[in-house]
Amino acid sequence: MEEVSQADPSHLLQYLDSILDSDPFINEVGFIHPSQFLALNEEAAAPVSEELSAANSSDMVFWHRDHKLGISTQYLVPLYKAAKCAFMAAVGRYNDSNLSAESGEKNVSSLQDLCAVQVMKRSRALLLLTSDFGTAWNYRKLMILREPHVSTYMDELGFSKLVLSYSPKSECAWSHRRWVIKKISGNCLNLQEIVENESDLVKLIAEKSKMNYRAWNHRCWLVSYMSSEQVKHEITSSRVWAGLNVADNSCFHYRSRLMLRMLEGLRTKQGSKAVSSDNAEYYKIYKEELDWNETLIKRYIGREALWLYRRFLSLFWVDQFAIVDADALAHINQTPISTGEIKTFLDNEVQLFYSCQGYSNNDFEDYQAQATFSATYMLWITRHFSQYAGFELIMKLRLRDLQEVLDKYCPERSFLWDFLRTP
Amino acid sequence: MGELEADKHVRYIMEVEKRKDDFEYVVTEHLRINGAYWGLTTIDILGKLDVADKEEVVSWVMKCQHESGGFGGNIGHDPHLVTTLNAVQILALFDSINVLDIDKVSNYIVGLQNEDGSFSGDIWGEIDTRFSYVAICCISLLRCLDKINVEKAVNYIVSCKNLDGGFGCIPGAESHAGQIFCCVGALAITGCLHHVDKDLLGWWLCERQVKSGGLNGRPEKLPDVCYSWWVLSSLTMIDRVHWIDKEKLLRFILDCQDKENGGISDRPDDAVDVFHTYFGVAGLSLLEYPKLKAIDPAYALPVDVVNRIFFK
Repeated sequence: MEEVSQADPSHLLQYLDSILDSDPFINEVGFIHPSQFLALNEEAAAPVSEELSAANSSDMVFWHRDHKLGISTQYLVPLYKAAKCAFMAAVGRYNDSNLSAESGEKNVSSLQDLCAVQVMKRSRALLLLTSDFGTAWNYRKLMILREPHVSTYMDELGFSKLVLSYSPKSECAWSHRRWVIKKISGNCLNLQEIVENESDLVKLIAEKSKMNYRAWNHRCWLVSYMSSEQVKHEITSSRVWAGLNVADNSCFHYRSRLMLRMLEGLRTKQGSKAVSSDNAEYYKIYKEELDWNETLIKRYIGREALWLYRRFLSLFWVDQFAIVDADALAHINQTPISTGEIKTFLDNEVQLFYSCQGYSNNDFEDYQAQATFSATYMLWITRHFSQYAGFELIMKLRLRDLQEVLDKYCPERSFLWDFLRTP
Repeated sequence: MGELEADKHVRYIMEVEKRKDDFEYVVTEHLRINGAYWGLTTIDILGKLDVADKEEVVSWVMKCQHESGGFGGNIGHDPHLVTTLNAVQILALFDSINVLDIDKVSNYIVGLQNEDGSFSGDIWGEIDTRFSYVAICCISLLRCLDKINVEKAVNYIVSCKNLDGGFGCIPGAESHAGQIFCCVGALAITGCLHHVDKDLLGWWLCERQVKSGGLNGRPEKLPDVCYSWWVLSSLTMIDRVHWIDKEKLLRFILDCQDKENGGISDRPDDAVDVFHTYFGVAGLSLLEYPKLKAIDPAYALPVDVVNRIFFK
């Protein structure tokens, strides 16, 4: 590393630009504490390069190796100030060149091009220091629209990915991706491939950044761009991940989004003949999901996200399949769930409830949580299934047990009981 | 536990402006108007708005306005619906909405409504129910709600309702307490709360209270003082506050104070910031803590400020 003068922030910025220009394959940016520089250098087995040996630790501003870039937290403020100043100046010059063009001056288009290149460069450095500086993202969009090529759009996906590497919750960076995809979706041959890559990116980021709402929201947004084959593939391929991240409510919500999307697909196919086999396949996927969820609930004790997902699955089942309106059923070539099936389902849920009370004398928090969730789940069932024949028969004798569990583990939720039982 | 350190919180907020070299301060300059709104509203709830220099604030806010009529997060930043609402809210605090060219600001908002009733945050087209709330709240404070298509706006919000009773940012998106506040707030302002299943949503919201008494924003998340605002204001609007343990929540918020230097953090013993100081104080106001001004759960402004606008 070259010695970088502490007194001159614009020098620091130039240095950052030169690293970014020299290595277009940088795939990760991070802010590191000065004390980490030495550790990082020792960790890298390769001999210390000339660059690094030239400076002692206090002068270290950037760490760059194997396409990873570290920026010292000690220099973030001066770097940010210089980057913001340079960006605003570049924007000013670009706007001036536009005014000249509008007033009819000749030969300004090459000047505009130069200014546009500068805006892209300056916004790059700034956004690698502060990810939600909206104006910088906006100007990037404006510059791209001057000459909108697919390759430029793809570069933006790459740049936004780099920003997400240090700021995985950056709302602006995720939103920028959606803007790019909306722009290219109309005339893009490999849209399905792009959607698949986006979905994989969320998976990758969700691995490091747990319960990241912005990331999962992006994945849910993608669903409307997926083909029905892709939706099915996503349901299958994201199952392992979900099974390993049972506390991540977002990944189960994503599955519910996929299930609903698949159903939408079936419904829009109405009228065509071959739907009954699709329906059978769909029902099979749904049943697998319900069984898998039960397995997880029994394996991972006291996980709220699993129980809430079961609430969704139960309601979804009764909403979608137990349709009372015969016309609607004829439309989608489907037979309603029989009273017998509802009874079987309720029987199973009641058994699940009792299986969660087996350790009622256990003081462990997880087991108490499991008892609470199972009881509130039964309240959910009570609310949504009470109009179906067979409900009273299955549940009548169990209501007292349910109330006992509620009183014991979650007296603070007793009002739920009250409002559910009063018609 | 102890009391609310009201004076220290006022001092903390007023001093934030002086820490211009802090990293956090520097890298959030694009959000300054947002921070100013939270900070000044907190001071007003604490009854001390006169410590702020009205002339200085109003003239700075007006410098953040863009030729399109919208406001940016700071001088020289692009306009956005969120920061436009913040500007109008700050002006409302200082009884200065009259300095605005109402037509210009409201036309900016109207121009961002889409065919399906949703709102884009700015000209770049990102859609989110947060922007629906922000547009509706802002244009209502400007007293020209009828300039937007309210029916379509409401229908779009309703299309973002989930089976759990909550709302997400677009149709099919996961329920989140912050988004729920936005959707319920927008429905409250437009008089359309009948679209909310209050028992079902209230159920989901009250399950956000964890053992410590604090509230989280989604299942399995840690509690955070910010949800003392997002969840509690939503419960207030749908009349289900009695479904949570108010006493425990009150204690949780008070435990998140920096009792020496002022300010409130997300959880006990974390670093304080202006945002969480607002969320804590506003939450306490909804819990009817003594000596605090009442806050309006939909407009996120003190009730007397809202009344001044609508009952002048």
